Amino acid sequence: MDFLNITDEINYYEKMYTLKNEIADYLFNQGYSIIEPSIFEDYDEFTNINTRIDKKKTVKLLDNNSGILILTPDITTGIVNKFLPRWEVGQKLKIFYYGKTYKHERNGITENREMGVEIIGEKKANTDNYILNTAKEIISRYSQNYLLEVGNSKFLKGIMEACSFKREEHENILDILYTKNKQELKEYISGFPITDAMITLSRILDLEGSFGEIKKQLEGLYLNDLMRQSVEELVQVDNYMSAITDNMIYDLSMVSELGYYDGIILRGYIEGSNKEIVKGGRYDSFTRQFGSDIPAIGFTLELDELLKTLYKEGRR
Amino acid sequence: MNLTIAIPKGRLGSQAIKMFKAAGIGEVIDENSRKLIFNDENLNISFLLLKNSDVITYVESGIADIGISGKDMVMEEDADIYELYKMNIGKCKMAIAGIKDSDIFKDDSIIKVTTKFPRLAKKYFKSKGQIIKLNGSIELAPILGLSDVILDIVETGNTLKENGLEVFEDMYQISAVVISNKVSYKFKRKEIKEIIDLLRWEDNNGKDN
Repeated sequence: MDFLNITDEINYYEKMYTLKNEIADYLFNQGYSIIEPSIFEDYDEFTNINTRIDKKKTVKLLDNNSGILILTPDITTGIVNKFLPRWEVGQKLKIFYYGKTYKHERNGITENREMGVEIIGEKKANTDNYILNTAKEIISRYSQNYLLEVGNSKFLKGIMEACSFKREEHENILDILYTKNKQELKEYISGFPITDAMITLSRILDLEGSFGEIKKQLEGLYLNDLMRQSVEELVQVDNYMSAITDNMIYDLSMVSELGYYDGIILRGYIEGSNKEIVKGGRYDSFTRQFGSDIPAIGFTLELDELLKTLYKEGRR
Repeated sequence: MNLTIAIPKGRLGSQAIKMFKAAGIGEVIDENSRKLIFNDENLNISFLLLKNSDVITYVESGIADIGISGKDMVMEEDADIYELYKMNIGKCKMAIAGIKDSDIFKDDSIIKVTTKFPRLAKKYFKSKGQIIKLNGSIELAPILGLSDVILDIVETGNTLKENGLEVFEDMYQISAVVISNKVSYKFKRKEIKEIIDLLRWEDNNGKDN
């Protein structure tokens, strides 16, 4: 937020400080340890992992060997790069951080304040639920009118494997799903031979809403093992979350611009905000590039958007 | 419903308003008035009448929950919105045109392109085109030598013909689309879908189409 007047700006910093500390205190008391993320990432490394990120939006700089660095657009990538090369067998991390991410937007470079949470090295049936609960506890503190939206990247992955698209076709379909354009999806798919998997894909944009609605839509649709597994995981989430909140929605066509999610994907909104307040998910396969498969899940909180929304409603 | 709908002024908007009225919503809109905002208090829907190119801005920023815009604008703006329904109105195509019988488009030299859609043009021509942005009367540019070709929307082709131009290449089919703010869609999915179902019914069964 920009201010004409210094007093207003200082007020804003004070509110941001309070907000940040409230959340940090909560996380600290829940047993999360604090770490400090780095703001630099290697351009090639980053864009190779996050293939869907808009490269033009990254903020580049040069190191003294003319290597290209970027100011981080996503802190989780940096955390994995920082810790996983030194990972010891059996290690567990339950961490949180405060940091800023950077992007070129229409009006120039934007800085985004984020608070993030990660659990790395532990995978029990209830780790997904534990993280979702942490997100719910934080977001519900600031608004009664919130929504937590959960998807599962394995569903889309399963269906895309069954349809065996070429790389370019794959990207085109993700672009269409990203804008929820049903007619364009049907038109695009009509150019391919009709298989059971293709029929499920043509209906994927209907697989959203309450979990009950999705279950009804899923009846009679083709599912392979990976897709069934993804639905199973969501059943578990829904069993747990429906007992503690009514504000859950699900979306099986959820596409993230970060390519590393591998399982549950999470988003959180509060009424009056114009962006996600919570973004995250499971990223086990992301750690595989360092040789071993280490389970990992986390999310970030968009502090600027959260404070802006509370401000707008006169609640801060 | 507590919904805000952005409608473009002009021909496309008039067609859309007709459809809304036929579906029983938007009775409050009076196009002859100079008012830009109309509230249907019974249904709790607000209609904003905006300049065509501003609809996307209002929807992306969440001031309007949904809006009606041409697909050409949606592609040009590349905004972070949902495209929920392609309507049966506002149909035309995006094409590249130039002076009839000229062979400029066929050789390999870098060509000058005038257009109202500079981002789309840049994406389409990549390094092969030098893009010049104009705001209107695009057809004049090749005639006066400002550009080699134009990239524009073509409805009947009459304007092109009358100015001695012809279509060299068809690019995309264009029509009006119902767009939605991404967060609004999460909170108001049922209401938004209801509106789209009404529009779809009008598209398929309405007497104007």
